[in-house]
Formats: sequence, C-alpha cells, structure tokens
Amino acid sequence: MARQARLTPLSLMGVAIAALLTFPLAYVTYSAFTGDLSQASNLWNTRLPELLTNTISLALGVSLATLTLGISTAWIITRYQFWGRAFWDWGFVLPLAIPSFVLAYVYTYLLDRAGPVEHIWQWLTNSDVHIPSPYSFTGALVVMTLNTFPYVYLLARAAFQNFNLSFEEAAQATGATRWETFWRVSLPLIRPALVASMFLVVLYVVSDFGAVSLLRFQTFTYAIYQQITGRFDYQSAALLSLLLVSFALVFLFAERWFRKQSRFYQTSGRVRTATPKPCSIIRGLTINLFFMMIFMAAFGLPVFLLIQWTIAAWANGEVGTSFGTYIGNSVFLSAAAATAALALGTPLAYLASRIPSKLHVACLQGAYIGYVLPGPVAALALLMLFTDMIPILYGTVFVLILAYLIHYLPAGLQAMESALQQVHPNLEEAARNLGAKGIRTFMQVTFPLVRKGFFAAWLLMFLLCMKELPATLLLRPIGFDTLAVRIWLEASEELYQLAAPPALLIVILTIPAVFLLSKKNWQAG
Amino acid sequence: MPYLSILLAFVAFCFGSMKVQELFAAESVVVYSGRAERLIKPVLDHFQKTTGTTVQLLTAGSTELVNRLRAEKTRTPADVFITNEAGALELARSLHLLQPITLPEVATTIPKPFRAPDNSWIGLSGRMWIIVYNTKMVDPSTIHSLLDMATPTWKGKLAIPTANSEYLQAGASMILAAKGKQISNEFLQGIRDNAGNEVYGKNRQIVDAVAKGKVEVGIVNHYYIFRHLANDPKAPIAPLITDQDEGGMGAIMNVAGVGLTAHAKHLTAANQLITFLMSPTGQEMFAHLNKEYPVNPKVKTAPELPPASSFRPSSIPLTRLAELRDPIIQEIQRLGLR
Repeated sequence: MARQARLTPLSLMGVAIAALLTFPLAYVTYSAFTGDLSQASNLWNTRLPELLTNTISLALGVSLATLTLGISTAWIITRYQFWGRAFWDWGFVLPLAIPSFVLAYVYTYLLDRAGPVEHIWQWLTNSDVHIPSPYSFTGALVVMTLNTFPYVYLLARAAFQNFNLSFEEAAQATGATRWETFWRVSLPLIRPALVASMFLVVLYVVSDFGAVSLLRFQTFTYAIYQQITGRFDYQSAALLSLLLVSFALVFLFAERWFRKQSRFYQTSGRVRTATPKPCSIIRGLTINLFFMMIFMAAFGLPVFLLIQWTIAAWANGEVGTSFGTYIGNSVFLSAAAATAALALGTPLAYLASRIPSKLHVACLQGAYIGYVLPGPVAALALLMLFTDMIPILYGTVFVLILAYLIHYLPAGLQAMESALQQVHPNLEEAARNLGAKGIRTFMQVTFPLVRKGFFAAWLLMFLLCMKELPATLLLRPIGFDTLAVRIWLEASEELYQLAAPPALLIVILTIPAVFLLSKKNWQAG
Repeated sequence: MPYLSILLAFVAFCFGSMKVQELFAAESVVVYSGRAERLIKPVLDHFQKTTGTTVQLLTAGSTELVNRLRAEKTRTPADVFITNEAGALELARSLHLLQPITLPEVATTIPKPFRAPDNSWIGLSGRMWIIVYNTKMVDPSTIHSLLDMATPTWKGKLAIPTANSEYLQAGASMILAAKGKQISNEFLQGIRDNAGNEVYGKNRQIVDAVAKGKVEVGIVNHYYIFRHLANDPKAPIAPLITDQDEGGMGAIMNVAGVGLTAHAKHLTAANQLITFLMSPTGQEMFAHLNKEYPVNPKVKTAPELPPASSFRPSSIPLTRLAELRDPIIQEIQRLGLR
C-alpha cells in the first residue's frame, strides 16, 4: 500500500528540525555574497586549483588507504582463527578514541626534523639523510588514514560476519579461484557497507581541521581556517565553505543514488555465515605482526607517548587539580548533544525511510550538510545569530550543544537510517492495522527493533563530541573548559608535555564508548 | 511525559549554571586572553585574592578572540582583552573594538612605543626575537646585526622558524618598517637559502638544534633560550642581542599587552585590573612567568636575563605591525619560505 505524502504534524516537525539544522548554512550563504567580492575573486583565481587538487587527492588517497587497511583487517578477523584474535577483534576500533589533532600532534613530534624517527633512521643508516617532512601530503595521508580506518573496519567486519557463504561456494563450484571469488563475489556483496564507510571517511577528511591545520596541508578546510584566523576574512571563508558544501552535496547524492541501486533485504531461507578457519602457526604469527604494526602506529605508540609525557608532567608537579570539572564538562556536553541529536534525528530518519517524499528526503539531506560545514565557520555563524537574535541564550551551553548537534548529527543519522531500513515496514503496518497509533507503534514496535542501532548512533555522536575542538573554543561559556580545550590551551606556547594529561583522559574516557561500538554488530544499508 | 520533565530540568540546569553567576557577581571583570593560561592565570589569581574582584577568564587564540569581539559587537561580555602580540591588539583597535584607557599611570609607566597612540591598549612585557648561538662554535663578536644571518657566511649553519610563525612575520615586518622593502626581502631570501632544510615548526626545536651543534645559529624568541637553559644549565647556548650600533635598527621586540574593550560592562573593575597589571608587582609577575621584559623600565627583570638597560629595542612603533601584516605574509609566501 503506497501512502500519499501529506503534510502531517510529523512532517512539519521534520521541516522545523531541518530548518534549525540548516540555519547556519543560510547565514554563511548570506555572508558569502554580501559585501565586496574582490578579495574573494582574488582567492578564487590564485588558490582554488591548488586547494581543489589537494583536497580531492587527500580524499582519494585516504579512501584507498583506509579501504585497504579496513577490508584486509576485517577479512582476516572474520575468516581466520589465530592466537590473539579476540584482542584484535576490538583493538582496531581503539584508534577512534584519539582526537585527530592529538594524533597529528604526536606525528609531528615523531616525524619532525631532528625528531625520534629521524634519529633512529640516521643511526640505522649511519647517514645524515632527512626523512620526509610530516608537513606534507604524506603526513596528512598517514594521520587521516590511521584516524579513520576503524570506520571501514567496523562496517566491513559486520558485513563479512553477516555474509551468506553460499554465494562464495557457488562461485568456487563453478571454477573461480579464491582470489577471483574475493574480488568478484565477496567484495561486491559488501558494497553497501563499503559505501557507507567511505561516506564517513570522505566527509571526515574534507571537514576535519585538527590534522590539516597542524600539518599545514593546504586543503579547503585549512584555507578556511587561515582565512578566519590569520586574515579576519569571514567572507572568503564563507565562500570557500559553500564550495566545500557543494562538493559534499555531489558526494551525498552519489551515495544516495548508489544506495538506492543496491538496496536489498536479507533473502529468506537459510543463511550460512563464515566460521573462522584455524591457520598455521607461521601464518598466525604473520597476521599478528601485521596487525601489531597497524595497531602501534594508530594507537599504541601515540598512547605510549601520551603516558610518558603525562608522567613527566606529573613528576614536575605541573598537572593541575581541576580535572574533575573538565571531565564533567566534557561528558555532560557530549551526552547532552548526543541525546538531543538522537531526539531530533529520529523524525528525520523515520520520515525519509517510511514516506520518502521529496520533502522528507530533502529534510534529511539538509541535515547532512552540517557535517561538512566547517566547524569554526558554523560556530562563528551561530555566534553572530545568537548575539543578534536570541542574546539571552548567548554564552550558555545551549549554543554549544546546538553547534555539536548540527555538526555531528549526520554521523549518527547514517546509523539510525540503516537501523530503520532493516525494520520491514510490514511490521509497522501490522501494528497500525491492529489499531495502534503512530507514536505507540514507534515506541512499541519500531524502537525496540532499532534500539541497538540507535544506541550505536548515540555512542558515535558522543565520541565525536568528546573530541570536538574548534566550536568549543569559540562558543564555550566563560570559565567552562572541556578536556579538548585544555589540550589546546596547554599545547599553545609549546608546552606539549602539559597537553598530554587531558589528551590521555579523553582517550581513557572514550574507550568504553569505543568498546561498546565495536561489540555492536553494525549493519549498513 | 517523563521525557519532557527531563528536558525541562536540563534547561533549568543550563540556565542555572551559566546565568546565575553573572547576575550575582557584581564585582567581577571578564577577561578574554590570547596568552597561554599558564602565563596569565597566576597574575589574575593574585589580583582576585588581593582585591576581592572576581576574574572570569576565557582563553583562546588572539585572532579568534578578535573575531569573537567583532561578532559580539555591543553585547560582548568581555571587559579586558589580553594578547601575546601587539599586532592583534592594534587590529582590535583599528576595528573600533577597544576604547582609550584613561588611567593617569599609563603615561608615567608605559613608554610611548609600547602603547597605542590613543592608549586603547598598552604593552606589559616584551619578548625579543633574537639570535641563539652555540658557544663552542661561534664567536659572537663577529655578528653585529640580525641581517648578518642572511649573508652567505651562514649557509647551512642557520635554523629558522616556518613561514607561518607569527614571530617570523612580526620580525620581518619590523625589518621592513626600519629598512625598507629591498632589505627586508634580501633578509628573507638570505635566511631561506642559509637555512635550507633547517626549518622548524617550534622554537624549542631550533634551540635544541643549536644546543646539539646541528646548526651554529638560530633565530628565536628569547625566552625559549632561557627555558632550555633552565632544564639543562650546561647547554652550550647563549642569546645574542644585535643591532645596537649607533643608527642601527635596535633589537626586535614585540609586546604582550592589554586593551580595554569598547563595550566593557564593568569599567571600574576593568580599570582596577589594568592598574594592577601596570603596577610594579603586576608587571613583575606578568613578565617573570615567561621570562619576558617588563615594559616599565623601573621594574626589575628576571635575574637570569641580560638587564634591560644593556640593550636598546627598535624604535619602530608596534602599531605598524597590524598594517604590515598582510603585505609581509604575501612577501613571505611569494619568496617561498617554507
């Protein structure tokens, strides 16, 4: 039964939420086109080709690298039984606990001129050769890849775990080699998961400030950052942001289209999933060695350094005592924002998946824009809007929570949508035919079925909010510091050892969320 | 609905925590600071303890704070704006975000080159951009000017900061103001060629490279040298203050300072704080926390620093930093410094 798209109260609510979420974008658009455009056109002529090339090549490079790392680790873990597997199973999610600017900071320390890696290299080769600078494409590629491959790992692992083995067997029965089977059957079948993870990775790469600004790699976001911190040029920043948003929109539509093409419900009947095969000791060792290298680079080594610096700061008596407050502030803000995002995201995701009218899909798409609208630009827009229009709320945590919500709801929305899509509409129809009202159907039928997916969305948003920096710096109430802000405050003036304790605390506090996230069997599309 | 009550409680909490202190703290002053919290908080704490006036501190990047002031316009909660460099203060002034400080002490304690023409901001402590040299490898008497660092003698022996260092930008601006475009460009090209690969993101690393003898000389903010010496007193490094000859441009100095915001809500308390910062105790605390030079010549410098009377800083007014900032950044980029 196809239902007409009518303007129900729920749709109106969806429209209102979408309007709230796209409010900053409207303001940014307004700022971009008012006033003198000469500076902007200068920027357009001189910088644009470089920025475009750098941004696109970084997005492509990180995509390829994270796909390689994510798929290979996920495949090995779901298919082989070896010593240490239980640890790696969730260990690869741990890098998500490290904020990108902390990872970038650690890597600039490690790879910088006269840094430890260069020392070791020169000692080993007994030469005076310099290693490649971290302030480059390579540096940005390495940091971004290590920071985001867990997304691919998580989604690919879930897909491989739910994978129906019969398809592979059919391929092999008709004479395909294992390699051919992998490329032509296994990979295409987990395509929805890969696309969903690429969505997270690419949008993260093009919108993240932490890594590119520390590594001074000239991407769109870094140029935007320079425009508003170095040159006080909000208009150019706004224009560049709009370009970034349109770039992301193209990507969004492509992803939507792709998802429509490849939507499939689980076929009924018997599903045989893969059981991990035992493997030889040599192979087990090789796997462990390979995994250890990735893990050390993405998590082990950075955390080891953070611990070492924390101890050094502690020994010097330089660790402050008010960490309780910062922890409380960070957790409070992130939990509030994640909860609010869940509440506002539910109508959007529900409407778009159940009554996919143009209006509903547009509302959902609108919500996704917040993910790419650069943090500092959106934050400054909110600041101006609130001081002008609702000054009573300005300087309260509301504005900050709204900023988080706008920026990170899309990350959770992805998981919420997937969860809703897997609940077959028949179930809801049945409840309604039995006389249950809309809200009751949702609370008693739909919600219990999507609970796990929604919880995962909440965790992901909580995690991202814990690590947020640019909006927090700009919008936090006076005297209200979070852990991320403490890292920034201590790292300025090169007091890097003092930045380690709050960084370590963020990692420790987000590990439980990361752990839960890894336990959840993520379903995509 | 339980959800609704939770939401209401949450709303109440947000208001409660944020607005109440504002309403009841009558004697308070709100400070926006671009100076590292560790270098300013002890001074403000001391002020709070001795006067009973509550200080509310918000630390962020200097430029971000100028943006914030600009966006907040008349509604800004900030009374006082503290930064690490005169450029940002002057920029805030040129955007009409500051108002003149009318305290009589300004004229008597702060020398003219270190404050705004209308006293909208005043410098508090000086940081010098100077040469650090390896005492085992360099005879300091051979160096007279910072400009010498650009001569071929130092090829492969010099370490410099990266192009986006605000100290490099400010230093080059001062040379541009004192000597003109040709000489400042020759300087930038010279240090670019001499440094080659020895370009560092952190002052600390430059001092480290000099101490280890990887390079013979480097250009840094002076306090990094003393920070290194405090950790490792035997390190073979020393500061070198140049350009002291008759008619020379003088040592390059930038100041950390304070401005009074145009829409300050707590004028009395703000003036009280500024008075304290100008006072000998205030200046001494402010400067010594980071081993900088108090701007007031009558206040003692930290004992490990060369005495302030032993050198002459550049006489170029710091207000020029703001106007030269954009041209110099463009020049630095054009010349391809890394």
